[in-house]
Amino acid sequence: MIAAAVYFFGGLAALATLLMIFQRDPVKAAMLMLAALLSTAGLYLALSAQLLAALQVILYAGAIMTLFIVALTVMPQAWRDHQPKNVFTRVLGLAAAAVLLTELVKVSAVLRTAVRNVDFSESGVLGLARELFGRFAFQFELLSLVILTSIVAAVTLAAKRREA
Amino acid sequence: MIEFYEANKDILLFSGAAAVKVLLFLGGVMSFTALLTLAERKVSALMQDRVGPNRASVFGLALNGLFHPIADAIKMILKEDFVPGKAEKLLFTLAPFFALVPVLALFAFIPFGDYVMVFGYQLELQIAEVPLALFYVLALSGLAIYGVFLGGWASKNNFALLGALRGAAQMVSYEVVLGLTLVGLMMIYGTAGLQDLVRAQGALLFGFVPAWGVVVQPVAFILFLIAAIAENKRTPFDLVEGESEIIGYFMEYSSMRFAAFMFSEFVEIILVAMLAATLFFGGWQVPYLYDTGFILPGGKALALNHYIVAALQVGSFSVKTVFFSWFLLVVRWTLPRFRFDQLMGLCWKALLPLALLNILVTGAVLLALGKIR
Repeated sequence: MIAAAVYFFGGLAALATLLMIFQRDPVKAAMLMLAALLSTAGLYLALSAQLLAALQVILYAGAIMTLFIVALTVMPQAWRDHQPKNVFTRVLGLAAAAVLLTELVKVSAVLRTAVRNVDFSESGVLGLARELFGRFAFQFELLSLVILTSIVAAVTLAAKRREA
Repeated sequence: MIEFYEANKDILLFSGAAAVKVLLFLGGVMSFTALLTLAERKVSALMQDRVGPNRASVFGLALNGLFHPIADAIKMILKEDFVPGKAEKLLFTLAPFFALVPVLALFAFIPFGDYVMVFGYQLELQIAEVPLALFYVLALSGLAIYGVFLGGWASKNNFALLGALRGAAQMVSYEVVLGLTLVGLMMIYGTAGLQDLVRAQGALLFGFVPAWGVVVQPVAFILFLIAAIAENKRTPFDLVEGESEIIGYFMEYSSMRFAAFMFSEFVEIILVAMLAATLFFGGWQVPYLYDTGFILPGGKALALNHYIVAALQVGSFSVKTVFFSWFLLVVRWTLPRFRFDQLMGLCWKALLPLALLNILVTGAVLLALGKIR
């Protein structure tokens, strides 16, 4: 039962991701990415990682993807289809894809031999909170600094455009 | 047959009970939604000194407009189903589902009563008993954005796109506040499950004040209500729709596709009302009513049958839901629409700092009371 759900959602995520890569229309590609993110959330649910599934939907599907989509829509490029300009760009793209694929295959070879934890289940909200605000409190706070920097950068960029 | 039943007794009973709960609860919600569309028109008529809809009749029996929801539904079904020539067909079709499905799914987490004993089984009056329900409420309400956005984008109409962009910006902003207002509740009651939350609200403060969310988190309640109305996209936050300026993201929709968008708005009203009741007004709790009956603070007790207690609790939840639905209707017909900069200013400069401050104060008080381990 669980294995079936895992394979179903995993296959769905892989399919949506593949379709996304071959989709030319940016907004449709974003919708396929949303489908991939939601299937990943389903995968977490199938593995009874309930908090992770909820956070995946809240953060990725609810917040980040929405911002992506808005950014895509206000860009005029989103309304037109762009063909790659010359042969050189295509070859470069194919080369980059080949490098990525070989790396992925290498990584998956390690995964195959990894020890499988049979009774996989989430440590729970309390355990996660203890780790986040206990052992990794410093790193967690550092992360907020990174976000603060990006907010300042975004405000500066927006303010500059208004003057022009 | 009997062997199959004996072998799978647990799962069969579980799915049977779940199916009955879904049918009863969602059936009730749907009927209430239909009545709410009538109530909206009647309340607006009352507030503007008009009569309101009262003509639809069956065999000359009008019942002051009670048949209007049915007449509306028939009208919607018979309208032409129009798809603009340049629209993205698939996404245009999917958008109404994206608007309606997440909202309907959310009702699974709402406890509409404590429990009833049926043939010796204890039946929880909640469709899905999820321990992290609050997170799921936030997750699914976040998905409702896609209905608005896809509807506007796939129509390939600039007015609809404007509505969709406004909607995405507004809903993302107010969802942050919505999520932060719930943090205080989770801190105080120490749970993210809605049924546990309601049960925790049955306790008494100082021996006589019910420990409802609104008593311990009054600021959070007001912020939650404002953010929830904004998420619901109704006046004063209806810039997404803005009938007098941009018509809205569903501009190109007609017939039942449009009805799905409109219906989802009314279902959301009920959802907001139910969430407000569940989170801040004790859900199905009746003050001083316990499993065995009423026990007043003075020590007087009135023993009641289990089924009467359960009925009182479900009734209490229904009354609270109806009250908040009415309140949301009145708010809509009272306040004028915000300007867009006011809308964003209110969210990021007023509500968000207040919500963060509320969390800080809640934490400080909990620390002072020694409630944090």
